Parts: sequence; structure tokens; C-alpha cells
Amino acid sequence: MILLEYANRIIIETLRERFSNPITTSLNIADFDGVGYRLSTPESKTLLVVSMRMPCFGELLQYGAMDVLRREYGSMLEATPEPGFEVTLKVDIEKVPQDYSDREALIRKIALLKRNALAAPFEQAFDAQIDGRETPLMAIHYRDTEVFYVKAGTDRVTVIFSTEFKEEQDRILGKVFLQEFVDARRLPQIQNAPQVLYTNRDPPLELRGQPGLKDSENIGYVTFVLFPRHFSKEKREDTISKIQLFRDYLHYHIKCSKSYMHSRMRARVAEFLKVLNRAKPEPVNVEKKTIAGKTFKRS
Amino acid sequence: MANTLRPYLTAVRSTLSAAMCLDNFSSQVVERHNKPEVEARMSKEVLLAPVVISRNENERVLIEASVNAVRVSIKIKQADDPERLLCHKFTRFLTQRAESFVVLRRKPVEGYDISFLITNVHTEQMYKHKLVDFILQFMEDVDKEISEMKLSINARARIVAETYLGQFIN
Repeated sequence: MILLEYANRIIIETLRERFSNPITTSLNIADFDGVGYRLSTPESKTLLVVSMRMPCFGELLQYGAMDVLRREYGSMLEATPEPGFEVTLKVDIEKVPQDYSDREALIRKIALLKRNALAAPFEQAFDAQIDGRETPLMAIHYRDTEVFYVKAGTDRVTVIFSTEFKEEQDRILGKVFLQEFVDARRLPQIQNAPQVLYTNRDPPLELRGQPGLKDSENIGYVTFVLFPRHFSKEKREDTISKIQLFRDYLHYHIKCSKSYMHSRMRARVAEFLKVLNRAKPEPVNVEKKTIAGKTFKRS
Repeated sequence: MANTLRPYLTAVRSTLSAAMCLDNFSSQVVERHNKPEVEARMSKEVLLAPVVISRNENERVLIEASVNAVRVSIKIKQADDPERLLCHKFTRFLTQRAESFVVLRRKPVEGYDISFLITNVHTEQMYKHKLVDFILQFMEDVDKEISEMKLSINARARIVAETYLGQFIN
């Protein structure tokens, strides 16, 4: 369980169940980065509506999110989303392919809704770079206080995440983790991985002059430098999925190491208590029982 | 490193053993009060001169003795941010469980990370030499635990980073 999945597991499981056994559904599901889904059957049991709420969708639209979604979901995509949501898909369960692998592919595709919407700026940048064009800096405010930027240069695509740690503890641990990301490339077997740069507080050169940059000790910037070998035809989809999950991955592991520390401390405290209890002398006058169960005291 | 640790711990052990000579002593100021004098500080003549034993500028032990209680405060080595975090977490974790550690003080003395208060009641109920053993063992293990935790965090961070970046190659 080192890596996280890109698809939403709850959606996968629910769809799998509903496709074989259509029943009335109303389900609210949460995903990373404030994204929410609703699965419902407003008209009939066999007409499943999947809606997604996404705070940064307005920005994604500018970067061509609709084209990506139209390409991925085709006729399933509704022109007008449900009120309160940004994207709505309609799935007719009666028309779902019977073949197992086709059906699984469809389920997976729906579960990747968030990923596909977020993929738009990356695809634009990758396409532009392959054509040798540069793109302006595309900012996506995917969380309240955190932003990621995508920019295609002449020979590379840079992805910059601004990370903010709310707690002091997370900040310290985050620093340790991010430093390892920077250093990891020294290993010979991953020398071809994207270069990672990390700066604390000072934004990297690409971001200078951007509006809304906060100046605080808690903010860091992580830059990924992607070269064409990272977004070749075969790798492109994978790279997009993985880079999107960077923040979740980082935070997930920070939490994991905290809980590991906690369980270690528990064990250590138990050990200390044992040592302390050794200092207590054995009670001398224990009540003794006869074989019949009566007690007596030695005077 | 071990060769400076040994004399340090020996010094702490002998000072503590000497200071642990405690007696039941009622307050001279308030009638029917019986309080650890090192905390109450009501009469000067029952307090002994405090002793500081330091290994270096970051690690030291303060032993304050009095007629009926002795207070031991430990400053744990903290070289960098992660160590400071771990030390803070660990001492907090311990002080929250102070009831089970009868000799542990809920709040450390200022300038130190963790304090113990051993009163005459404790020395009457428990073996003195074992109490000293406990403090010494604590001092040894705390350093060990913190450096081990730090290593494991670094190791984890490395694996995490390598796995993540490794995905982009294959």
C-alpha cells in the first residue's frame, strides 16, 4: 500500500454492484481535494446519474477540460449538470456492455472522472511542448490554499505545486520527505525520473510576479521538470495520473509516519512502566487461601 | 560517544543515590501540611544546593534535593527540527500518562524537557536503587528511541520518494 489508486474505489465498487443489480440509489462520496460525487437514480432504477462537484472546475474549463471529458465520456456526458455540481454523467444500466472486461473498463472510466477533469491542463501543456510551442503558466487552485501550476517550455514541461502545511509537525516532517524527493534522483536506477526541486518560502523563478502568492514560513514549492521522455504516447496517461496524486501521496505518508511514531511511543512507554514497576517491592502479606477456599491471615 | 556517556551516567547515578536520602518532613510553616519542600519552597533551610550535571551544552540533568523530595529534570539532546519534534511529541506523550508513572512530573521545570519528582512516600514504597535505575534507564532509552525514530522517518521518506519517482521510469 505504498502507492495510492487514481480511481475512486467507492465508485468502482458501487457501480459494479449496481450494474449487476440495479436498485434505487442515492449516495454522496468524497474524494481528495474537496471533490465530491453524487450517485443517484432520479428517474428510474436503471438510469444512474453520476455528478461531480469540483471547486476548481471553472479554471479547468479554460484549459479545455470539457474537450477531455467529451472525448472520454462521449454521449454519457450531460450538457447541463445537476444543480450544485459541475459535471454530470448519465449511465443507462440496460445498455451497459455485457462482456466482463468491457464493463470493467467502463466502470473504471467513470471512477476516473476527477482525474480526467484535472488532466486537461497537463494534456494541453504536453501537446504544446511536442509541437514546440510554449504555453502561459496555467494555475489551478485545486485546494483552498494550495495551487498547482503547469507550464510548457521549449524543451520541457514544469509542474509546480505550492504546498502548505497547517501544522508545525507536518511542516517538519514534510521538509524531511520533500528533501528526500530532491535527493532520490542521485540513485542510478532512477536517474531518468523527473527532476524535483524544492524551495521553502521563496517561489521558483517561473512563479515570480504571480498574483496571490503568500509569503509564509509554512509554504513550500515543489517543482517537477518533465522532459518529453516522460510524456511519450505510452507514458502520458500514467504520468498525468501520478503527478496529480503527488500531494495526496505526500500527505498520506506524513500521516503514516506520525501514526507509526505513535505506536512506537506506546510500546516504549509500556517498557518504561515495566522498569518503574520493578522498583516496587513484592507485596509481602498476600492473602492466602486454604484448599477449601477459606482465607486466613498469618499474624 | 559512548565514552562520554558512561561517566555522565555514572555521575548522575551517584548524585541521585546521594540525593535520594529522604525523610518524612511536615511543613514548618503551615500546620498539618506535608508537601515536597523542593516544590513548596517555604523554608529555605530544608533545601539543598541544586546540582547540574551536563554532558554538553544540549544535554544536562538538574538535580534539586530537599529534605523530603528530590526533583530530577532532564534536558534531552535536540540537534535539528525533526529531533525537536520527536522529543516534544515523546515528552508530551509521557506527561499525559503521568498517573501511571507515579514519579513523573506533569510539567517540566523551565529549560528542561522532562522532570521527575521523587518524594519520601515513593522511596518508602519502592526500592531506592531501582528508582535510580529507572531514571538512568530512561535517560539512556530516550536518546536511543529518538534517534531510532528519526532514522525510521528518514528511511521511510527515502523509500516513499524512490517509489514515487520510480513510477515515472517504467
